Amino acid sequence: MSRWKIASVIVLGIIGGWVLYTFPPVTTAFYPQCTFRQLTGFDCPGCGSTRALHALLHGRFAEAFRFNPLLFALMIVAGISVPSMLRGERPRFLYTRWFGWGAAIVIAGWWIGRNLYR
Amino acid sequence: MFCPNCRTSNLDNASICINCGKALTSNTPHSYTPPPPPPRANAGYAPPQPSSGESIPNYLVHSIIVTLCCCMPLGIVGIVFAAQVNSKLALGDYMGAREASAKAKLFTMIGFGIGLVGVVILFLMAGASIMEAVRVAMENR
Repeated sequence: MSRWKIASVIVLGIIGGWVLYTFPPVTTAFYPQCTFRQLTGFDCPGCGSTRALHALLHGRFAEAFRFNPLLFALMIVAGISVPSMLRGERPRFLYTRWFGWGAAIVIAGWWIGRNLYR
Repeated sequence: MFCPNCRTSNLDNASICINCGKALTSNTPHSYTPPPPPPRANAGYAPPQPSSGESIPNYLVHSIIVTLCCCMPLGIVGIVFAAQVNSKLALGDYMGAREASAKAKLFTMIGFGIGLVGVVILFLMAGASIMEAVRVAMENR
């Protein structure tokens, strides 16, 4: 990863973090809405991420987990990937069969499951 | 011919390399193997080789981001093709992996495009109320 990429990720992260921390998504209308939910009325696998990140930034972990548990899985995966991405390499596990099919099954299952049992 | 060990140029009929002394094998059309890249100073880093399938991207991260952030069922299609890239690479089917990679890219891009257009349309439709919400949020914070 180039220095510019790392710098812009950090700057955007700080700005995004400040906006998310300051304005609660539940009562603020300017956050982008989920197209899938607007069109179908069903939750998408990413729905609840904005509220979860807001709760997380305020230290409310249990609440964040209730809004979107998949976000935690994603953050763990992102955390594991950071060292090799900084070296400019592709993380190895992203190219394994179990991770590819596992991601497909977990995300599809979570998508269907959360709409069946809500 | 070039020595597969040190890449020194040798005569075509030479049997050993004039530089490193390794045995040279003649290149027949059936058993051609490309010479390995010259040894590098930074031995820990292996550059991607186009012939080995290492350079075939699976777009797994892209398709997961499209699925979660653009909320697109097409993202799932992208993830499935990304998983196929991994399966085919594991089997050594580089041609199939390349095809699956192209499809993963295609569905991820379409999903991203639709998601982006959808968000922009929703944003414009709610334009006036969003501007009001920004104003209220700035006053109340």
